[in-house]
Amino acid sequence: MLVIEFLLVLFLASIFAGVFGSIVGLGGGVVVIPILTLWLGVDIHFAIGASIIAIIATSSGAASVYVKDKLTNLRVGMFLELGTTAGAIVGAALAAYANSEALELTFGSILLVMLVPTVMRFGEETPKSPELKGLSKSLGLTGSYVDTNGSTVTYNATRPKTGLAGMVVAGVLSGLLGIGSGAFKVLSMDLAMKLPIKVSTTTSNFMIGVTAAASAGIYYVRGDVDPVIVAPVVLGIIIGAAIGARFLVRARNPTIRKAFALVLALAAIEMILSAYGI
Amino acid sequence: MSTKDPESMSTVIGNVLRYGVFLSAAVTLLGTVLLAVQTGASGIGQFLTYNSAQVPHGTFPVSLSSLASGLARAQPYAIIELGVILLIATPVSRVSMSVFLFAAEGNRKYVAITAIVLALLLFSMLVTPFIPGFNA
Repeated sequence: MLVIEFLLVLFLASIFAGVFGSIVGLGGGVVVIPILTLWLGVDIHFAIGASIIAIIATSSGAASVYVKDKLTNLRVGMFLELGTTAGAIVGAALAAYANSEALELTFGSILLVMLVPTVMRFGEETPKSPELKGLSKSLGLTGSYVDTNGSTVTYNATRPKTGLAGMVVAGVLSGLLGIGSGAFKVLSMDLAMKLPIKVSTTTSNFMIGVTAAASAGIYYVRGDVDPVIVAPVVLGIIIGAAIGARFLVRARNPTIRKAFALVLALAAIEMILSAYGI
Repeated sequence: MSTKDPESMSTVIGNVLRYGVFLSAAVTLLGTVLLAVQTGASGIGQFLTYNSAQVPHGTFPVSLSSLASGLARAQPYAIIELGVILLIATPVSRVSMSVFLFAAEGNRKYVAITAIVLALLLFSMLVTPFIPGFNA
Protein backbone atom coordinates (compact mmCIF):
# COMPACT_ATOMS: atom_id res chain seq x y z
CA MET A 1 0.00 0.00 0.00
CA LEU A 2 1.27 3.49 -0.86
CA VAL A 3 1.51 6.26 1.74
CA ILE A 4 -1.13 8.32 -0.07
CA GLU A 5 -3.58 5.39 -0.11
CA PHE A 6 -2.96 4.67 3.55
CA LEU A 7 -3.61 8.32 4.44
CA LEU A 8 -6.86 8.44 2.44
CA VAL A 9 -8.27 5.14 3.68
CA LEU A 10 -7.52 6.01 7.29
CA PHE A 11 -8.90 9.54 6.89
CA LEU A 12 -12.24 8.25 5.58
CA ALA A 13 -12.50 5.50 8.21
CA SER A 14 -11.74 8.04 10.93
CA ILE A 15 -14.64 10.27 9.87
CA PHE A 16 -16.89 7.30 10.60
CA ALA A 17 -15.13 6.72 13.95
CA GLY A 18 -15.60 10.37 14.88
CA VAL A 19 -19.33 10.32 14.10
CA PHE A 20 -19.96 7.28 16.31
CA GLY A 21 -17.48 8.20 19.03
CA SER A 22 -18.94 11.66 19.55
CA ILE A 23 -22.53 10.43 19.79
CA VAL A 24 -21.98 7.67 22.33
CA GLY A 25 -19.35 9.40 24.47
CA LEU A 26 -16.63 6.77 23.95
CA GLY A 27 -14.30 8.67 21.67
CA GLY A 28 -13.28 7.11 18.38
CA GLY A 29 -10.85 4.61 19.91
CA VAL A 30 -13.21 1.65 19.84
CA VAL A 31 -13.61 2.05 16.08
CA VAL A 32 -10.06 3.18 15.24
CA ILE A 33 -8.19 0.27 16.91
CA PRO A 34 -9.77 -2.59 14.89
CA ILE A 35 -9.50 -0.58 11.65
CA LEU A 36 -5.77 -0.15 12.25
CA THR A 37 -4.92 -3.63 13.50
CA LEU A 38 -7.34 -5.90 11.65
CA TRP A 39 -7.68 -4.01 8.38
CA LEU A 40 -4.45 -2.05 7.91
CA GLY A 41 -2.14 -4.46 9.76
CA VAL A 42 -0.69 -1.80 12.07
CA ASP A 43 1.08 -2.91 15.28
CA ILE A 44 -1.26 -2.84 18.29
CA HIS A 45 1.04 -0.40 20.17
CA PHE A 46 0.79 2.16 17.37
CA ALA A 47 -2.97 1.53 17.23
CA ILE A 48 -3.32 2.29 20.95
CA GLY A 49 -1.13 5.39 20.61
CA ALA A 50 -3.35 6.62 17.75
CA SER A 51 -6.47 5.74 19.72
CA ILE A 52 -5.38 7.93 22.67
CA ILE A 53 -4.98 10.89 20.31
CA ALA A 54 -8.26 9.99 18.52
CA ILE A 55 -10.06 10.20 21.87
CA ILE A 56 -8.72 13.70 22.53
CA ALA A 57 -9.77 14.75 19.01
CA THR A 58 -13.31 13.36 19.40
CA SER A 59 -13.69 14.84 22.85
CA SER A 60 -12.51 18.35 22.07
CA GLY A 61 -14.12 18.44 18.62
CA ALA A 62 -17.60 17.46 19.82
CA ALA A 63 -17.45 19.12 23.24
CA SER A 64 -17.31 22.61 21.80
CA VAL A 65 -20.80 21.96 20.34
CA TYR A 66 -22.21 20.16 23.40
CA VAL A 67 -20.93 22.74 25.89
CA LYS A 68 -22.47 25.57 23.90
CA ASP A 69 -25.80 23.75 23.65
CA LYS A 70 -25.73 23.16 27.45
CA LEU A 71 -25.99 19.39 27.04
CA THR A 72 -22.73 18.72 28.85
CA ASN A 73 -23.01 19.21 32.59
CA LEU A 74 -19.76 21.04 33.33
CA ARG A 75 -19.99 20.60 37.12
CA VAL A 76 -20.74 16.89 36.96
CA GLY A 77 -17.86 16.48 34.49
CA MET A 78 -15.32 18.42 36.50
CA PHE A 79 -16.32 16.78 39.80
CA LEU A 80 -16.00 13.30 38.27
CA GLU A 81 -12.64 14.16 36.66
CA LEU A 82 -11.23 13.99 40.20
CA GLY A 83 -11.82 10.24 40.05
CA THR A 84 -10.64 9.65 36.48
CA THR A 85 -7.35 11.57 36.76
CA ALA A 86 -6.43 10.06 40.14
CA GLY A 87 -7.38 6.61 38.83
CA ALA A 88 -5.33 7.07 35.65
CA ILE A 89 -2.15 7.69 37.67
CA VAL A 90 -2.78 4.60 39.81
CA GLY A 91 -3.42 2.56 36.65
CA ALA A 92 -0.20 3.75 35.00
CA ALA A 93 1.75 2.84 38.14
CA LEU A 94 0.26 -0.67 38.15
CA ALA A 95 0.58 -1.29 34.39
CA ALA A 96 3.94 -3.04 34.66
CA TYR A 97 2.56 -5.61 37.12
CA ALA A 98 -0.86 -6.16 35.62
CA ASN A 99 -1.97 -9.13 33.59
CA SER A 100 -3.70 -7.24 30.79
CA GLU A 101 -5.35 -10.40 29.37
CA ALA A 102 -7.10 -11.14 32.66
CA LEU A 103 -8.13 -7.51 33.00
CA GLU A 104 -9.53 -7.34 29.50
CA LEU A 105 -11.47 -10.54 30.01
CA THR A 106 -12.89 -9.32 33.33
CA PHE A 107 -13.87 -5.86 32.19
CA GLY A 108 -15.05 -7.01 28.76
CA SER A 109 -17.42 -9.38 30.57
CA ILE A 110 -18.60 -6.59 32.91
CA LEU A 111 -19.41 -4.40 29.89
CA LEU A 112 -21.31 -7.29 28.32
CA VAL A 113 -23.38 -7.71 31.50
CA MET A 114 -24.04 -3.96 31.59
CA LEU A 115 -25.80 -4.31 28.24
CA VAL A 116 -28.77 -5.80 30.15
CA PRO A 117 -29.77 -2.70 32.19
CA THR A 118 -28.96 -0.53 29.16
CA VAL A 119 -31.20 -2.50 26.82
CA MET A 120 -33.97 -2.70 29.46
CA ARG A 121 -34.23 1.07 29.38
CA PHE A 122 -34.64 1.25 25.59
CA GLY A 123 -37.46 3.66 24.89
CA GLU A 124 -36.94 5.76 28.03
CA GLU A 125 -37.12 9.47 27.24
CA THR A 126 -35.77 10.91 30.50
CA PRO A 127 -35.31 9.16 33.85
CA LYS A 128 -37.53 10.22 36.77
CA SER A 129 -35.45 12.93 38.38
CA PRO A 130 -34.67 12.35 42.09
CA GLU A 131 -34.75 15.09 44.73
CA LEU A 132 -31.57 17.17 44.93
CA LYS A 133 -29.98 16.46 48.32
CA GLY A 134 -26.73 15.73 50.16
CA LEU A 135 -23.45 15.99 48.25
CA SER A 136 -25.28 16.49 44.93
CA LYS A 137 -26.95 19.54 46.43
CA SER A 138 -23.81 21.04 47.97
CA LEU A 139 -21.92 20.56 44.68
CA GLY A 140 -24.82 21.78 42.57
CA LEU A 141 -24.97 18.60 40.45
CA THR A 142 -28.10 19.61 38.62
CA GLY A 143 -28.90 21.05 35.25
CA SER A 144 -31.31 21.54 32.41
CA TYR A 145 -31.29 21.44 28.66
CA VAL A 146 -33.73 22.17 25.86
CA ASP A 147 -34.99 18.96 24.28
CA THR A 148 -35.67 18.33 20.59
CA ASN A 149 -39.38 19.19 21.00
CA GLY A 150 -38.52 22.55 22.58
CA SER A 151 -39.38 21.57 26.16
CA THR A 152 -36.87 22.15 28.96
CA VAL A 153 -35.66 19.00 30.72
CA THR A 154 -34.49 19.60 34.30
CA TYR A 155 -32.58 16.85 36.09
CA ASN A 156 -30.74 16.21 39.35
CA ALA A 157 -27.86 13.79 39.87
CA THR A 158 -28.15 11.15 42.56
CA ARG A 159 -25.48 8.96 44.28
CA PRO A 160 -22.47 11.16 43.36
CA LYS A 161 -20.10 9.02 45.48
CA THR A 162 -21.02 5.86 43.57
CA GLY A 163 -20.53 7.77 40.34
CA LEU A 164 -17.12 8.99 41.52
CA ALA A 165 -16.12 5.44 42.50
CA GLY A 166 -17.11 4.27 38.99
CA MET A 167 -14.86 7.00 37.58
CA VAL A 168 -11.89 5.83 39.66
CA VAL A 169 -12.36 2.36 38.13
CA ALA A 170 -12.63 3.95 34.68
CA GLY A 171 -9.45 5.96 35.32
CA VAL A 172 -7.45 2.95 36.57
CA LEU A 173 -8.51 1.02 33.46
CA SER A 174 -7.42 3.85 31.14
CA GLY A 175 -4.03 3.94 32.80
CA LEU A 176 -3.68 0.16 32.67
CA LEU A 177 -4.97 -0.60 29.20
CA GLY A 178 -4.55 2.65 27.30
CA ILE A 179 -8.25 3.08 26.61
CA GLY A 180 -10.48 6.10 27.17
CA SER A 181 -12.92 3.94 29.15
CA GLY A 182 -15.84 6.08 28.05
CA ALA A 183 -18.14 3.06 28.41
CA PHE A 184 -17.58 2.98 32.18
CA LYS A 185 -18.05 6.72 32.39
CA VAL A 186 -21.39 6.67 30.56
CA LEU A 187 -22.55 3.66 32.61
CA SER A 188 -21.64 5.34 35.92
CA MET A 189 -23.62 8.44 35.05
CA ASP A 190 -26.49 6.50 33.52
CA LEU A 191 -26.94 3.71 36.07
CA ALA A 192 -25.68 5.29 39.32
CA MET A 193 -26.34 8.99 38.90
CA LYS A 194 -29.55 8.66 36.85
CA LEU A 195 -28.72 11.42 34.39
CA PRO A 196 -30.54 11.62 31.03
CA ILE A 197 -28.58 9.55 28.48
CA LYS A 198 -27.82 12.64 26.37
CA VAL A 199 -26.24 14.31 29.38
CA SER A 200 -24.31 11.12 30.24
CA THR A 201 -22.81 10.62 26.78
CA THR A 202 -21.96 14.30 26.23
CA THR A 203 -20.48 14.68 29.73
CA SER A 204 -18.46 11.49 29.19
CA ASN A 205 -17.33 12.93 25.86
CA PHE A 206 -16.24 16.08 27.71
CA MET A 207 -14.23 14.05 30.25
CA ILE A 208 -12.48 11.48 28.03
CA GLY A 209 -10.22 14.16 26.52
CA VAL A 210 -8.76 14.84 29.95
CA THR A 211 -8.40 11.12 30.73
CA ALA A 212 -6.62 10.51 27.43
CA ALA A 213 -4.41 13.60 27.80
CA ALA A 214 -3.34 12.30 31.22
CA SER A 215 -1.77 9.21 29.64
CA ALA A 216 -0.75 10.82 26.32
CA GLY A 217 2.65 11.84 27.72
CA ILE A 218 3.69 8.24 28.36
CA TYR A 219 2.69 7.11 24.86
CA TYR A 220 4.34 10.10 23.20
CA VAL A 221 7.68 9.65 24.98
CA ARG A 222 7.65 5.92 24.22
CA GLY A 223 7.32 6.68 20.51
CA ASP A 224 3.91 5.04 20.16
CA VAL A 225 2.33 8.10 18.55
CA ASP A 226 3.31 7.61 14.89
CA PRO A 227 2.69 10.85 12.93
CA VAL A 228 1.87 8.99 9.70
CA ILE A 229 -0.96 7.14 11.47
CA VAL A 230 -2.11 9.91 13.76
CA ALA A 231 -2.37 12.68 11.13
CA PRO A 232 -5.21 11.20 9.02
CA VAL A 233 -6.90 9.91 12.20
CA VAL A 234 -6.95 13.38 13.80
CA LEU A 235 -8.21 15.10 10.65
CA GLY A 236 -10.92 12.49 10.00
CA ILE A 237 -12.06 12.36 13.61
CA ILE A 238 -12.42 16.14 13.89
CA ILE A 239 -14.71 16.20 10.83
CA GLY A 240 -16.63 13.15 12.04
CA ALA A 241 -17.07 14.57 15.55
CA ALA A 242 -18.50 17.80 14.13
CA ILE A 243 -21.06 15.76 12.13
CA GLY A 244 -21.86 13.46 15.06
CA ALA A 245 -22.32 16.34 17.50
CA ARG A 246 -24.86 18.04 15.24
CA PHE A 247 -26.73 14.75 14.94
CA LEU A 248 -26.82 14.17 18.71
CA VAL A 249 -28.21 17.62 19.45
CA ARG A 250 -31.22 16.82 17.26
CA ALA A 251 -31.59 13.15 18.21
CA ARG A 252 -33.99 11.79 20.83
CA ASN A 253 -32.77 10.03 23.97
CA PRO A 254 -33.99 6.52 22.95
CA THR A 255 -32.00 6.75 19.69
CA ILE A 256 -28.85 7.68 21.58
CA ARG A 257 -29.35 4.84 24.06
CA LYS A 258 -29.59 2.35 21.16
CA ALA A 259 -26.42 3.71 19.56
CA PHE A 260 -24.69 3.48 22.95
CA ALA A 261 -25.80 -0.14 23.41
CA LEU A 262 -24.40 -1.01 19.97
CA VAL A 263 -21.02 0.54 20.68
CA LEU A 264 -21.02 -0.92 24.20
CA ALA A 265 -21.43 -4.40 22.70
CA LEU A 266 -18.62 -3.67 20.22
CA ALA A 267 -16.31 -2.42 22.99
CA ALA A 268 -17.05 -5.49 25.14
CA ILE A 269 -16.42 -7.95 22.30
CA GLU A 270 -13.23 -6.10 21.34
CA MET A 271 -11.87 -6.34 24.89
CA ILE A 272 -12.69 -10.04 25.18
CA LEU A 273 -11.15 -10.84 21.78
CA SER A 274 -8.08 -8.83 22.67
CA ALA A 275 -7.72 -10.92 25.85
CA TYR A 276 -7.44 -13.98 23.57
CA GLY A 277 -4.88 -12.21 21.41
CA ILE A 278 -7.16 -11.52 18.44
CA MET B 1 -24.55 28.61 46.18
CA SER B 2 -26.14 29.15 42.80
CA THR B 3 -26.85 25.98 40.89
CA LYS B 4 -26.53 27.52 37.46
CA ASP B 5 -23.25 28.37 35.81
CA PRO B 6 -23.12 31.79 34.23
CA GLU B 7 -23.57 32.00 30.48
CA SER B 8 -19.96 33.11 30.08
CA MET B 9 -18.54 29.83 31.42
CA SER B 10 -19.90 27.59 28.67
CA THR B 11 -19.07 30.20 26.04
CA VAL B 12 -15.45 30.54 27.15
CA ILE B 13 -14.92 26.79 27.58
CA GLY B 14 -16.60 26.10 24.23
CA ASN B 15 -14.30 28.65 22.57
CA VAL B 16 -11.12 27.27 24.17
CA LEU B 17 -12.02 23.83 22.79
CA ARG B 18 -13.03 25.16 19.38
CA TYR B 19 -9.89 27.24 18.82
CA GLY B 20 -7.63 24.48 20.14
CA VAL B 21 -9.11 21.94 17.73
CA PHE B 22 -9.05 24.39 14.82
CA LEU B 23 -5.41 25.32 15.37
CA SER B 24 -4.36 21.68 15.77
CA ALA B 25 -6.29 20.65 12.65
CA ALA B 26 -4.73 23.44 10.57
CA VAL B 27 -1.16 22.52 11.59
CA THR B 28 -1.81 18.77 11.18
CA LEU B 29 -3.34 19.34 7.74
CA LEU B 30 -0.29 21.32 6.63
CA GLY B 31 2.03 18.51 7.78
CA THR B 32 -0.14 15.85 6.14
CA VAL B 33 -0.22 17.64 2.78
CA LEU B 34 3.58 18.02 2.86
CA LEU B 35 3.94 14.35 3.80
CA ALA B 36 1.66 13.28 0.93
CA VAL B 37 3.53 15.49 -1.55
CA GLN B 38 7.00 14.36 -0.46
CA THR B 39 6.48 10.65 0.20
CA GLY B 40 2.96 9.86 -1.05
CA ALA B 41 4.17 7.48 -3.75
CA SER B 42 6.44 5.35 -1.56
CA GLY B 43 5.34 2.23 0.26
CA ILE B 44 3.75 2.61 3.70
CA GLY B 45 5.61 -0.32 5.30
CA GLN B 46 8.79 1.58 6.27
CA PHE B 47 6.71 4.14 8.19
CA LEU B 48 4.98 1.55 10.34
CA THR B 49 7.98 -0.33 11.69
CA TYR B 50 7.50 -0.96 15.40
CA ASN B 51 10.68 -1.83 17.25
CA SER B 52 9.79 -3.25 20.66
CA ALA B 53 13.46 -3.62 21.65
CA GLN B 54 14.21 0.11 21.86
CA VAL B 55 12.61 3.31 23.10
CA PRO B 56 11.27 5.24 21.26
CA HIS B 57 9.69 2.34 19.40
CA GLY B 58 9.08 4.15 16.13
CA THR B 59 11.37 5.47 13.40
CA PHE B 60 10.25 9.08 13.97
CA PRO B 61 11.85 11.53 16.45
CA VAL B 62 10.03 12.36 19.72
CA SER B 63 12.42 14.62 21.64
CA LEU B 64 11.73 18.34 21.88
CA SER B 65 15.10 19.25 20.34
CA SER B 66 14.48 17.04 17.29
CA LEU B 67 10.97 18.50 17.06
CA ALA B 68 12.43 22.02 17.05
CA SER B 69 15.08 21.25 14.43
CA GLY B 70 12.48 19.40 12.35
CA LEU B 71 10.17 22.40 12.47
CA ALA B 72 13.02 24.69 11.44
CA ARG B 73 13.46 22.52 8.33
CA ALA B 74 9.70 22.27 7.73
CA GLN B 75 9.73 18.47 8.03
CA PRO B 76 6.24 16.92 7.72
CA TYR B 77 6.78 14.65 10.76
CA ALA B 78 7.68 17.57 13.01
CA ILE B 79 4.74 19.68 11.80
CA ILE B 80 2.29 16.82 12.44
CA GLU B 81 3.78 16.25 15.89
CA LEU B 82 3.32 19.94 16.68
CA GLY B 83 -0.35 19.58 15.66
CA VAL B 84 -0.67 16.56 17.96
CA ILE B 85 0.91 18.47 20.86
CA LEU B 86 -1.53 21.36 20.30
CA LEU B 87 -4.37 18.83 20.40
CA ILE B 88 -3.11 17.29 23.66
CA ALA B 89 -2.80 20.80 25.12
CA THR B 90 -6.46 21.60 24.34
CA PRO B 91 -8.12 19.71 27.24
CA VAL B 92 -5.33 20.93 29.55
CA SER B 93 -6.13 24.54 28.61
CA ARG B 94 -9.79 23.82 29.18
CA VAL B 95 -9.15 22.59 32.73
CA SER B 96 -6.81 25.53 33.48
CA MET B 97 -9.37 28.00 32.19
CA SER B 98 -12.07 26.41 34.39
CA VAL B 99 -10.03 27.15 37.52
CA PHE B 100 -10.05 30.86 36.65
CA LEU B 101 -13.71 30.87 35.60
CA PHE B 102 -14.83 29.31 38.88
CA ALA B 103 -12.59 31.75 40.78
CA ALA B 104 -14.21 34.68 38.97
CA GLU B 105 -17.57 33.25 39.98
CA GLY B 106 -16.39 33.04 43.62
CA ASN B 107 -17.13 29.30 43.67
CA ARG B 108 -14.43 28.03 46.05
CA LYS B 109 -15.47 24.37 46.02
CA TYR B 110 -15.06 24.15 42.28
CA VAL B 111 -11.86 26.20 42.27
CA ALA B 112 -10.47 23.50 44.60
CA ILE B 113 -11.89 20.62 42.51
CA THR B 114 -10.59 21.92 39.18
CA ALA B 115 -7.21 22.91 40.68
CA ILE B 116 -6.74 19.34 41.99
CA VAL B 117 -7.75 17.92 38.58
CA LEU B 118 -5.24 20.23 36.88
CA ALA B 119 -2.45 19.22 39.28
CA LEU B 120 -3.18 15.49 38.79
CA LEU B 121 -3.39 15.95 35.02
CA LEU B 122 -0.07 17.80 34.76
CA PHE B 123 1.63 15.28 37.06
CA SER B 124 0.31 12.41 34.96
CA MET B 125 1.26 13.98 31.63
CA LEU B 126 4.63 15.48 32.44
CA VAL B 127 6.06 13.55 35.40
CA THR B 128 4.89 9.93 35.15
CA PRO B 129 6.51 9.29 31.71
CA PHE B 130 9.88 9.76 33.38
CA ILE B 131 9.28 7.63 36.49
CA PRO B 132 10.82 4.18 35.94
CA GLY B 133 8.11 1.53 36.13
CA PHE B 134 5.32 3.88 35.02
CA ASN B 135 6.71 3.85 31.52
CA ALA B 136 6.29 0.10 31.20
